[in-house]
This record gives sequence, structure tokens and C-alpha cells, in this order.
Amino acid sequence: MTGRKLVVSALVLALLQIGFLGWIVAGRAAILRNGQEVLLKVEPVDPRDLLRGDYIYLSYDISRLPVSLIANIPAGQTTSDDGPVTVRLGKDADGYWRAKSAWLGKAPDAAADGEVDIAGHLSSGWSLTADTTLSADYGIERFYLPEGEGLAIEKDMRVRPFGVRVAVAKSGKAQIKALMDGDTMLFEEPLY
Amino acid sequence: MASYSTRVRQDIARWAENGLIDAATADALARDVEANDRRSLSFGSILAMMAALLFGAAILIFVAANWEAIPRLARVVSLFAVILAGYVGGAVVKTRGHPAIGEALWIVAAAAFGGAIALVGQMYHLTGDESSAVLTWCAGTALAAVMLRSSPLTVAAVGIAVGWLVMTLLGGFRLFGQTDFPHLYVGMAVILFLLSYCTLSRPARHLILLSLILYAALFAADHDMLQVAVALVVVSAVLFAAAVTAPGPVERIVQLGGRLPLHALIGFLTGMAMIQFTVADGEANANFAIASAVALSGIAAAIVLAGRESRGLRWIAYLGFAFELVIVYLVTMQTMLGTAGFFLVAAVFLAVLAFVIVRIEKRWAAPALQGG
Repeated sequence: MTGRKLVVSALVLALLQIGFLGWIVAGRAAILRNGQEVLLKVEPVDPRDLLRGDYIYLSYDISRLPVSLIANIPAGQTTSDDGPVTVRLGKDADGYWRAKSAWLGKAPDAAADGEVDIAGHLSSGWSLTADTTLSADYGIERFYLPEGEGLAIEKDMRVRPFGVRVAVAKSGKAQIKALMDGDTMLFEEPLY
Repeated sequence: MASYSTRVRQDIARWAENGLIDAATADALARDVEANDRRSLSFGSILAMMAALLFGAAILIFVAANWEAIPRLARVVSLFAVILAGYVGGAVVKTRGHPAIGEALWIVAAAAFGGAIALVGQMYHLTGDESSAVLTWCAGTALAAVMLRSSPLTVAAVGIAVGWLVMTLLGGFRLFGQTDFPHLYVGMAVILFLLSYCTLSRPARHLILLSLILYAALFAADHDMLQVAVALVVVSAVLFAAAVTAPGPVERIVQLGGRLPLHALIGFLTGMAMIQFTVADGEANANFAIASAVALSGIAAAIVLAGRESRGLRWIAYLGFAFELVIVYLVTMQTMLGTAGFFLVAAVFLAVLAFVIVRIEKRWAAPALQGG
């Protein structure tokens, strides 16, 4: 490859990679800016080693989904397949949003005012019998902290209720906006 | 320092300018010179590559530290700047006749791309995405390797792919037990192997073949399947036969510098060892005896058929032979003899091994001296 061609390829390559990263950032920032805001209760988490990277592992009360909420379980199916799940959230009197109903795959109709659909993922092998719960994840189960602050917060979380403010895009994609210690805001995420 | 390759490259540029050769020929010539130039790795270029790897690791760990003193927008922008400066700067430096430094800068840029992916994941608290993040990093590095025709970047892409395979299996991504075996790796290996022709990267092809043997071994271990090990042995034997009977055509296809038999032998020995472990099941039996006989005759055949041409192959064969002696001993005698017995038998084995190696090396050395 001749000199100028190589430099031009390098420039195009750099712009491609930067553009790709910028596109992800822009998409995530758009969810934060435009998404419907919901407050979710975070539950105490299992103790885990935080030495490797500083994040706390978050478990929401919507992470455990009662099977009875799921409206469209195909007849005769006893265990879940790996795939998407849509959970419709509604706001309760205490300000937290909780799961009101859920569907495997997409929701059949649009969410009414005061309700939000959040897109989750179900792994295969969960029992689908009526009185059990299964575990869904929403891509918001992790909160990264500055080095050294993970343990203290995780300890506090086990003694009093913490909440997470989440922005949910129209597509159902969720994005953590802020970590709340009761009513005090611990971390708020800037757009970028 | 104007090395031979630098001078040839200047000549090629001049010939192209004067219309003596067309652009395609100039390109092909320049790449050929470059590919052959790389074979003599200088100490300086090794140091440059090590510095680049350290720099890349520093970027990745810096991102992981999530240091708040620098706003993250500034962190993102500076990583973008490293990507841009690394790729473009590397290209400029390379065209000015310092290929080693140029390649090292590209490695830094590729590391910065991986660091930026991690940083974006951290900024927006993305979960469960390590696997796809590493795959994205691998794809970005492979793209860079093709666009810049860079052998080190190809090797880096293969390295990231192997890292992905190992981390997925070790449960680093918390996937083990939930998903199936990462067969996607075979597809990645095939794509990277094809790309390595475009980037003239023989080291990448060597690494891919070795990683595929690792993949097969992990797959066989994970699924406890004799069939996988047998398939590895058969494929290796076929490749070996092909490489020995038709060295010219095979070398034109794989372009491994005549080292395909070496990989095939490693694959064969790995597969045989897994078969032996499986069929032995802690005690000697007829199947184990057959498997051991096959392994030992395979080693002998490899030395007879291809040992003359390749010293490396001979040493792999000796290692395999030593391993076979140990494994046969462990399975057959383990229960009967104590530690002293083991040392005694090991001493006898080593003596036998030394005798065999000395005999063979002497036999091959004589004609080589005459020929050379």
C-alpha cells in the first residue's frame, strides 16, 4: 500500500471506530434524555467480591417475576425458552414502580398513561408453573462506582431501602439514571 | 538506517512514479518486501511492540479504575484522540520508513478502542455485555488489520478471540452452565484465517491453528466426548498426510512456511492423549493399549515422514514420545510402585528417550551437513 493510501485508510478506520462508539454513546444518552422515568426498588444483594472491578450488583424487585403475571404462556409449556420478555410497570402509592403484567416476547398493546413497558430477557429453563417466580434481567443490574466505594454502599443497601431511577425508552430499553439512598441522591448520571 | 527493504521500497515508489510498473504491481511488490522484512524481527521492534502492549494495558486498567478526577466525557474524548492519533500517526510513521513503530502505534490505538468500549459500558452501567463487548473489540481490531494490512493487528485480533473463548469457558462472563459451548469460535477462527491472507500474517495463521487445537481439546474435555478427540486425531492425520505427500500445493494454500505438519502433529498428540485418558479410565485395558500403540506409531511415522525437513517437528515428536512414556507408566504401574519406583522408572525412561533422540539427531544431521 502506498503512503498516502495507507494514511487515508488509517483516517477512515479511526473515524469508523470513533463513529461506532459515538453512536452507542448517543443512543444511550438519548434514552437518558427522552426516556420515561421510573423509580425501582433495589433489593439487598448477595455479598460479592468487589476487588476485581468496582460495581455493585443490583437486584430489583422486578428481577423476580411471578409466573402468574405472565399473560401469554403457551399451553403445555412447562419451562421457559431463552428470549425476550416485556414487563408492564405501574406506579404504586409509595412512589416505586412495580410489575403489573408481563408477556413473553412483545406486549400485545401499547402501555396506557401512567404505565411503562420495560424490555427484559429471560434465560431458558425456568419453571412456568403458576405459583413459581422466575428471574428476568433488564441490562441494568450493574452500577459502576469510583474505585473503593463499592463495599460501603453495598453494606448500606442491606440495612435500608435503596432505589434506582431508570429511564425507559419507547422500545423498552432501560438505562440507569440515578442511585438513590431512600430520598437522597447518591449518584446522578450526566448524559455523557 | 536505510535497510535493504527501505531502499527497495523507495525504488518501488520511484518505478511506480515513472510508469515502469503499474500501481497494482507496486503494491504487491511493496507488500512482499514488507512481509519478508518482518521475518527478521529486530530487537527494537520487539521492544516497541512490548511498549505498545504495556501502554494498551495501562489504558484498559485506567478505564477500570473509574477515576473521578477526570470527567468521563474528557476520558471518552481522550480515548477517541488516542484512537485517531494512533491509527493515523502509525500510518504516517510507517510510510516514513519506521514500520515497527507504526505497527506499535496501531496496537495502542486498537487497545484504546477496546478501552473505549469498556468505558462506554461503565458510563451507562451496561450489564451482561462483556461477551459482546469483547467480540466487538475483536471485530474492530480485525477491521483495522484488514484496512491497514497489518500483521500485528491480525495477531492481536486472534489473541482477543482466544481470550474470548477462554473467558467464556472459565465463566468470566457468568455464562458457563447457562449457554452452550461457544462454537462461534470456529466461525471467528475461519474468518480470521481468511483475513490473515489479506494481511500477509503468517504468525496469525500459526496462532489460529494452535487455538483450534485448544478449542477441540476444551470441547472434548467439557463434553467428555471421545468423538471430538477422535475427530481431532483424524483431521490432524489427514492434514499431516496432505502436507507430506503434496508439500508444494498445500503450502501454496496454507502459506505456513512448511510448518503445517508441526501443527498436525500437535493436534494428533493432543487428541491421542485425550483418547488415552478417556479409555484408560484409571486402569490399563485393551483399548488403552491400542490407543497407546497408535500414538507411538504416529510419532514414529511423523519422524520418518517429515523429521528430516523440520527440526521443530522432531522436537515436538520427542516431547510427544516422552509424554507417551509417562502416560503409559502412570496408567499401567501407578497402583503398584511407590515413589522410589517412579524415580527409577523415570530414570530408565529418560535414558531411553535420550538414546533415541541422540540416534535420530545424529542420523539426520549427517545428510544435512552434506547437503548444506
